[in-house]
Amino acid sequence: MFSKLLMKFKSNITLQILTGVLMVFVLLTGLVCVIGYVQFTDAIEDQYADSAYNTARTAAYELTPRFLKLNDPTLREYQMKLIDIKRNWNKLADTQDATFIYLFKAASDDVTNEYSKVTFLVNVANKRTGFPDYSAGYTITQTDSRYLRAFREIYERGSERVEIAVYRPEEKYTSGNHITVMVPVHDHLKNVIGILGVERRMEDLDDVRSLYLRHVLIFSAVFLLIVMSLYGYYLSGKLLSPIQEIASEAMRFARENTRAEIQLADKITDISEIGQLARVIDVMEENIVSYVDNLTRVTREKEQIKAELNVATQIQADMLPRKFPPFPEHDEFDIYASMTPAKEVGGDFYDFFLIDDDHMALVIADVSGKGVPAALFMVIAKTLIKNVAQMGNLSSSEILREVNTRLCENNEADLFVTVWLGILEISSGKIFASNAGHEYPAIKHVNGNFELFKTKQSPAVATMDGMKFREYDFELEAGDVLYLYTDGVAEATNSHDELFGTDRMLNALNKFENESAQEILTEMKLAVDNFTGDAPQFDDITMLCLRYFGKDSGGKKA
Amino acid sequence: MEIRKDMKGSELTVALEGRLDTTTAPQLETELGDLPGVKTLVIDMEKLVYISSAGLRVLLKAQKLMNKQGAMTIKNVSQEIRDIFEVTGFNEILNIE
Repeated sequence: MFSKLLMKFKSNITLQILTGVLMVFVLLTGLVCVIGYVQFTDAIEDQYADSAYNTARTAAYELTPRFLKLNDPTLREYQMKLIDIKRNWNKLADTQDATFIYLFKAASDDVTNEYSKVTFLVNVANKRTGFPDYSAGYTITQTDSRYLRAFREIYERGSERVEIAVYRPEEKYTSGNHITVMVPVHDHLKNVIGILGVERRMEDLDDVRSLYLRHVLIFSAVFLLIVMSLYGYYLSGKLLSPIQEIASEAMRFARENTRAEIQLADKITDISEIGQLARVIDVMEENIVSYVDNLTRVTREKEQIKAELNVATQIQADMLPRKFPPFPEHDEFDIYASMTPAKEVGGDFYDFFLIDDDHMALVIADVSGKGVPAALFMVIAKTLIKNVAQMGNLSSSEILREVNTRLCENNEADLFVTVWLGILEISSGKIFASNAGHEYPAIKHVNGNFELFKTKQSPAVATMDGMKFREYDFELEAGDVLYLYTDGVAEATNSHDELFGTDRMLNALNKFENESAQEILTEMKLAVDNFTGDAPQFDDITMLCLRYFGKDSGGKKA
Repeated sequence: MEIRKDMKGSELTVALEGRLDTTTAPQLETELGDLPGVKTLVIDMEKLVYISSAGLRVLLKAQKLMNKQGAMTIKNVSQEIRDIFEVTGFNEILNIE
């Protein structure tokens, strides 16, 4: 129950602020009460003191020098004078509301050195109070330090007026709150020979003070009620409802993620921090909405591009011969090839096609760069190579020269393509080849190992117009294997930044014995993948493998 | 990849450091731009450790440009880079010291 209330309190800002204001106000009221009370008491006390002082001055007139000089209660004249004084003082006490009017001497005590031995000379008690008069010569020992201090003030420091206020609850003490004013009585030589005291009740003090307190409290309460209601109203209008507005808008936005029908800044025109908050939230919502819109559009475009790239991947894959065996009528060789692009589309390609019944072109190439630009260039290059080669009767170098000329015609992008082009004479196993900046082929002769076949290179195709290309030839015996690849194989990189390299490649190739071309390429791809592990594939991986059986093998593996 | 350019009159020396590959080649391409007012272009490959086909493309582009407006030389080529130039046949296109 209590914790529920506490929760409600904590969830309401206005309530919290009002409680704070209330506390400050109560504190202030308390302070005003205390200060007022003290000031009030002082003022009233002063009034009573003045009244008592005047009474004392009047009473002092009765103490004639003659009486003071006599100073002997046994003398008749003194006694007569005393009766006179007492009568007059009684009247005075009655008219001036004094409780006591008295004359006394205080003598110093030898032990304590205080004026504690008090001897009353004259003492009059107001008849209405019922106190008895002390008879002349009555002696007491004063121990109240305030009185002792007052006596010393008068005797030793020449004070003309000393006041002592005593506060006592009326219901416990008959004397109640009272004030005593004491004045010195001098002889004709101005020596202090006694002290005249007037005690007066401060009968109205309690009443006036409690009235004051009551007024202050009632006024404060009314004022507080008015101020708190106005302030609470102001707060909820100025603070709470805008904040609730902002909070509900923020919640709506979190839920719907759409623009607000009416902006917060239009609802909250305040220029305070709350108004700033409202405007900032407007801006934030606008930014988020346009960001999400933008993101949605970009994502949609990206999806579209991705879809188109998927089609492009398919088209590119379809451009490469993928029917194996490609020429069922030729059983002199076993050929297989594969291309794995690093991106959706790649710049690598392989190709093989018959130029005539006895000649087959073998192509492996790598366009500089990657992605769509490389893929487009690859399409042109591949098409050109095949078209030019199939014009017939051209050597590999002549084909590349023609292709180079055509590619250089419009090559603003400065792309180029490394090409290994070989023309296999199917009947003899002779290959005439040109290497335009491409990786060295690996060749395995029967009973030998795979080795790189290094020749003097020609520049890549499409680098410079009018270039000539070198040509070389070699011969495949029955059982020999030709392995063509792109740099995606040799430069496959693992997570330690190590390259697969041609040494590892040759080692992997040399583990094969009589596997088919397809088996070799599948295993080689696995070997590369095992090497790179989790590292992403940076470059297209393209391989072509030809196992030559010879004219007379009858297509059987040797 | 770090590229330091030093233009003295109409001679521009470009020192390359690091790897010139698919990621960094566009950077060099932007740095070189159309090579305005350059009659002699020297590319210092002393601290170059690798060059990919994308890097070769930028060199080729610069070479073609310099063929029209002056001359281009490549110097301080390490053995590894020289091998790449040889395999790709670029040693026949580029003027390598």
